Amino acid sequence: MSNSEHLATVMVNAFIDAVERGVDLVPVVADSTSTAKISPFIKQFPGRLVNVGIAEQTLVGTAVGLSMGGKIAVTCNAAPFLISRANEQIKVDVCYNNSNVKLFGLNSGASYGPLASTHHSIDDIAVLRGFGNIEIFAPSCPIECRQIIDYALEHIGPVYIRLDGKALPELHDASYRFVPGAIDVLREGEDIALVAMGSTVHEIVSAAAELADQGINAAVISVSSVRPCDTAKLLAALKKSRTVLTVEEHNVNGGVGSLVAEVLAEAGCAITLLRSGIADGSYAIAADRKDMRAHHGIDAAGVIRNAIALCKGA
Amino acid sequence: MNPFSLSVTDLEKRARAIRRRIILLNANSPAGGHTGADLSQVELLTALYFRVLNCSPALINSDERDIYIQSKGHAVGGYYCVLAEAGFIPESWLSTYQHADSHLPGHPVKHKTPGVELNTGALGHGLPVAVGIALAAKRNGSNRRVFVVTGDGELAEGSNWEAALVAAHYQLDNLIIINDKNNLQLAGATKEILNTDPLDEKWRAFGMEVTQCSGNSMQEVVSTLEGLTPNGKPQVIIANTTKGAGISFIQGRAEWHHRVPKGDEVELALEELKDE
Repeated sequence: MSNSEHLATVMVNAFIDAVERGVDLVPVVADSTSTAKISPFIKQFPGRLVNVGIAEQTLVGTAVGLSMGGKIAVTCNAAPFLISRANEQIKVDVCYNNSNVKLFGLNSGASYGPLASTHHSIDDIAVLRGFGNIEIFAPSCPIECRQIIDYALEHIGPVYIRLDGKALPELHDASYRFVPGAIDVLREGEDIALVAMGSTVHEIVSAAAELADQGINAAVISVSSVRPCDTAKLLAALKKSRTVLTVEEHNVNGGVGSLVAEVLAEAGCAITLLRSGIADGSYAIAADRKDMRAHHGIDAAGVIRNAIALCKGA
Repeated sequence: MNPFSLSVTDLEKRARAIRRRIILLNANSPAGGHTGADLSQVELLTALYFRVLNCSPALINSDERDIYIQSKGHAVGGYYCVLAEAGFIPESWLSTYQHADSHLPGHPVKHKTPGVELNTGALGHGLPVAVGIALAAKRNGSNRRVFVVTGDGELAEGSNWEAALVAAHYQLDNLIIINDKNNLQLAGATKEILNTDPLDEKWRAFGMEVTQCSGNSMQEVVSTLEGLTPNGKPQVIIANTTKGAGISFIQGRAEWHHRVPKGDEVELALEELKDE
């Protein structure tokens, strides 16, 4: 697989290409030009970006107004401040009004590591799944990210895209085609299905390779399209394995673990499930990414440990 | 161009008709209503929809139409009566205010009601969105103007002041913020709950051009709205109004924030609102 790329860079390149092909795209930032790595866009299209200062409610409200004025408005700032500070603007102005605004949650999950819980967004998917009509995506690699963004800019209606804060390696080749709702089965395996969204997909990819060496055949399932989600396909993929382990840099309540639990329970499917992530009742620890993931058991080693225990118990 | 362009005398007559509709609409509501707030903004909305706004049912999809945002969404009853008088919605809908899944819910919902530009109800949302619309109009080289009516109690929401900074920074002189300053909110006098005075000084400090008027005097409202001259600053009109204006036993009483006329009150109010 090819080189790693920061998903914010993928985002900015998608914006530049969109404006070049005639899309009237206006990025709106809240003093988050460096977070968004958007200086190449500003340089190429001076006067196009709108900076509202450190004011997330107005970031979202202004983006909605710009969309009502015919612009393709995209907000770019850190996910924790977007989701929490501007929560009611997302609920009312974006979702309830069904506005054509694309929200980018940058440095999501616990990307900010040691900067601690104010800077972590381990609840964004849960919050937005509670809002009726916003499409929700969590890309896991550059090529998928680019295709999700291109789709979002064409789609009319609210979209949230959760972007990790570190460069991520490619998982696909140039033949990859993103389909909204599709479940991405990266590896087949009947002993356990490992399910992740976004950057933790890389942890389950690594874990599956090591588990194979230990005689455990793990399926690897990436859910980058949280809404829409082809739950029938997800269920079919899960049913091929004896156990299921979900892995997310998100609270276990309301994220991909919950989605999987809902799909299994509604189908009356009694496959053993373990949801790993930020445990119920806790926050992500303030630590660098490696230590944080190890602490919460969502790094490859934690996935292997949990997978072996699940398979033994199955 | 406004399709009505009524004279002040005709606007006053139209305002009385709208007040009569407000009384009946609220009396018919199965879920209460914000009668006092509906009544305080009657002159403002009548002047806008029947003289000032370049907006009409025929222009509902025009990119050049002026935009009106009802940020004080709870005063939706008065707004509906104006939209019905102006031909955006059938008059027959007014008897369905807050009935189950009707076209006229208890706060504005654009998917339900033609003419409504933005779903509001939670306070402090109208101004940031209005800023975005005004900014888009500037960038598009459009002559569109954006009018937003807020309550005065609503100004405690910090989002208004965030948006005010942005409006001034981007020199949005196509944005007109009207404060329906009736000095009363849900639980009592704004001055006692959270004082926002001196309001004009606050807006000026934020970079706005400020005009004050008597918001229940049609003559003053019209001359203020028509006296606005774009000068690089967002415009603020502090409209000093009386909550419940126009009806002797409703005006100035906080209990009418969320109360509707009942029994004899309906006839008494309609009697006071008769044309001369």
